[in-house]
Amino acid sequence: MSRPARVGALSRLAPDPVKLVLNWGRRYSLWVFNFGLACCAIEFIATSMARHDFIRLGVIPFAPGPRQADLMVVSGTVTDKMAPAVKRLYEQMPEPKYVISFGACANCGGPYWDSYSVTKGVDQIIPVDVYVPGCPPRPEALLQGILKLQEKIARESLGERYADGGADGSGRPDGPDAPGRPDGPDAGALRRGLVRP
Amino acid sequence: MPPLPGSGLAKGLAITLRTMTRRSVTDEYPDTEPALPPRSRGTIALFEENCTVCMLCARECPDWCIYIDSHKETLPVERPGARARTHNVLDRFAIDFSLCMYCGICIEVCPFDALFWSPEFEYAEEDIADLTHERDRLREWMWTVPEPPALDPAAEEPKEAAAARTAAEKAAGREGDTA
Amino acid sequence: MVGLGAGDSADTDMVLNIGPQHPSTHGVLRLRLRMQGERITAAEPVVGYMHRGAEKLFEARDYRQIVVLANRHDWLSAFSNELGVVHAVETMLGMEVPVRAVWLRTLLAELNRVLNHLMFLGSYPLELGGMTPVFYAFREREELQAVMEEVSGGRMHYMFNRVGGLKEDLPAGWTRRAAAAVAAVRSRMGVFDDLVLGNEIFRARTRGVGVLPRETAQAYGVSGPVARASGLDFDLRRDEPYLAYGELADVLRVAVRQEGDCLARFECLLEQTHNALELAEACLGRLAELPPGPVNQRLPKVLKAPEGHVYTWTENPLGLNGYHLVSRGEKTPWRLKLRSASFNNVQALTELLPGCLVADMVAILGSLFFVVGDIDK
Repeated sequence: MSRPARVGALSRLAPDPVKLVLNWGRRYSLWVFNFGLACCAIEFIATSMARHDFIRLGVIPFAPGPRQADLMVVSGTVTDKMAPAVKRLYEQMPEPKYVISFGACANCGGPYWDSYSVTKGVDQIIPVDVYVPGCPPRPEALLQGILKLQEKIARESLGERYADGGADGSGRPDGPDAPGRPDGPDAGALRRGLVRP
Repeated sequence: MPPLPGSGLAKGLAITLRTMTRRSVTDEYPDTEPALPPRSRGTIALFEENCTVCMLCARECPDWCIYIDSHKETLPVERPGARARTHNVLDRFAIDFSLCMYCGICIEVCPFDALFWSPEFEYAEEDIADLTHERDRLREWMWTVPEPPALDPAAEEPKEAAAARTAAEKAAGREGDTA
Repeated sequence: MVGLGAGDSADTDMVLNIGPQHPSTHGVLRLRLRMQGERITAAEPVVGYMHRGAEKLFEARDYRQIVVLANRHDWLSAFSNELGVVHAVETMLGMEVPVRAVWLRTLLAELNRVLNHLMFLGSYPLELGGMTPVFYAFREREELQAVMEEVSGGRMHYMFNRVGGLKEDLPAGWTRRAAAAVAAVRSRMGVFDDLVLGNEIFRARTRGVGVLPRETAQAYGVSGPVARASGLDFDLRRDEPYLAYGELADVLRVAVRQEGDCLARFECLLEQTHNALELAEACLGRLAELPPGPVNQRLPKVLKAPEGHVYTWTENPLGLNGYHLVSRGEKTPWRLKLRSASFNNVQALTELLPGCLVADMVAILGSLFFVVGDIDK
C-alpha cells in the first residue's frame, strides 16, 4: 500500500468547496474504456447504444485508449493469459481512475470458478470500485453501477484516496511492486462470506 | 447517369429530419423503471418459511454459490413413550451473487417452492462481500416476485394444476356419491 | 520489435502486433503480422486469450449443468449452443422430443441466428468506419431480445433448453408479440441493404478484398456464411436436416456466392438474416396450427447417458458446431469435445492476410465473423 500520491498537491489540498466542484466535474465526465472480454461486452455495447444510452449519465464511450480514459469497465472473463494485459492497461490510465467489474466472471470467476485457466476475479490484479452482479447483467444494471460509482466519486476525497497507506475502507489493493499478486485485505474480503456468516 | 451533386447530402438530411420528428427509442432508466417480464432472471428470492434445509439447491448449483447452515432441533415428546421427533432449523441461507450464473437450477430443483426468480437487478455494490445476500435480504426480495405468466392456450396444463384439478374432481365426485 | 532484414528501409521486415485488446478484434484475438512496408507477408493468429477450459469443466458437471454452461463459449449464439448439447444427449439416449418443442426450438434458434447476425451486420461497418448501422442493428436486437427475455428470462444466455425439450411452455400471448417483433424487424431490415450494401465506400473497401478461394476454405474446414461466400454450398439445415428444418425446405434459402471476398461474405450474412426472419415467421405459423401438447419429457432424477459415444453437428449461426460426446454411463460425460466454427474460420487468416495491405487487415478480420470465445472455448 505504499503507492505515491499521483494527483497534484493542489487537488489534494484544495478547500472543500473546490473539491466539491472537482468531484462534480469528475463524476459527470467519465470517459470510459471498455475492456470487452466476453459475453458481458455485448451487454456493455448494448448499454452504449440508443436504447440505454449511458451518455445521458455523462459516460462517454469514445476514449481512444486507456491513456485517455477515467473509467475502465472490465466486462467478461479474465483469463490468466489475459491478466497481465488487463493490469498493464489499467496502469496506463491516468489518475484518478475507476474500475467497474461487470458481470460474474469479472467479479470472481462466475461460471468458470473451477477452471484452470481463469482468473478468479479481476480484483485480484487491479482495484475495483463497483461490482455489478449478473451473468450477464442487463444494461440497466450497468447504469445502476455507474450511478453507484458517481455517488462514490461525489463523496470521496482524493487526499484520502491517494494518501500513503490510503485506508479508505473499501479495501483497494495496490500492489505495484507485486504484479498479479493480491495484496492482503481484498483476498480476505473475498473469502469472508465463505468462512463465517 | 451520375447523380445530381448534393443529392446524397439532401437525402441524408431528410432522414435526419424525419428521425427528429419521431419519438426516441431511449429508455430513461434511472427516471423510469424498465417494464420487465415476469420470467426475467434478476435475482433469487427465498421464501424461507418453505425451506426444509434439504440442501438440494446447494448441491445442484453449478457454481456452489449457495451457503446453508442448519441445526437439528428436537421437538418435545407429544405423549409418553413416543419417539422424539427432530426437525431441521435454518441458521443461514446465503447466495453469493458475485458468483451466481443465474441459471435457475436451484429454483427448478427446489421441491418445496422456497426459491423464486425476481426481476430486480439494482444491487451493484462497492464491496464484493455485500453481494453475498443473507437470508433476510433474500427474504426481502420475495416482495418483488411477480406472479408467473399465464401459459399459452396450446400448452399442456402444468402438473400442479392438473393434480389439483383431479383432486377437486375426485372430491366433487365423492360429495356427489354421499349426497 | 524490428525483425530481420537487410538493405534499405523498404526492405525491412517489421513485426506488428495487433491485440490482444484491440477494437477491431471485438474480443481478445491477437495477430502477429510480419510486414514489408505496407504489405503483410505473414500472419499468425495467436489464440488462447479467452481459453476458459469449458471442455474440462463439462467433465465435472451433469447434463443439466452442462447445458447452462455450454451456451457461454459463443456468447452470440447461446441458444444454438445449448441445442447442440441437448441434441447430442438426446441422440445418445434415443429420446424423442415432443413436436411442439421441436418447432419452438427451431423458432428460437432462428431468432438467435438473427440476433447473432445483427451484431455482425452492425459491427462490420463500424470497423470500416461507418458508425450508423450499429445503432440500427442494436435497435432491432433490443426488440428481439425483449421477446427472448419474455420467454426464457435471459437477454443473452437463455438456458431454455433441457434434455428432452424446453424448460417451460410459452407465456400466453407470446406468439403474437413475437410475430409482431419479427414483422417489425423484417420491415426495417432494408436499412442494411440500402445503408450498408448500397454504400459505395463500403463496396469499394470490401469488393475483391481478402478473397478466400473455395479450395482453401475447404482445406481449413471453414464453414457457415464465410464458406458459402466462397462457393462452398453446404448448409446442415438443408443437407442433413435436424429439428424441423426438413419441413421448412420451401422457406429455407441457402445464400451462396462465388466471389469469396469480404463483400460476398457480408452479402451471405445479410441474406441469411433475411431468410432467418422468414423461417421464424414460418415457424410461428406452424406453431399456431399445432395441437396442444407438452414441450418436454419427464426426466429421471439422475440423468445418465448410456455408455458409448456420439457425434452430432448443427448449423450454428457462425458455421458448423460439432459435439463429440463420450460417455461411460456416468451422470457426467467422460469427454465432450466441441468443434466450434470460429476456430476453423480464423485459421484461414494465415492464408488470407499475406499479400494484403495493412489497411485491409481490419476489413478482412471483421468479415470472418468470429466470436473469440468460440475460438478459444
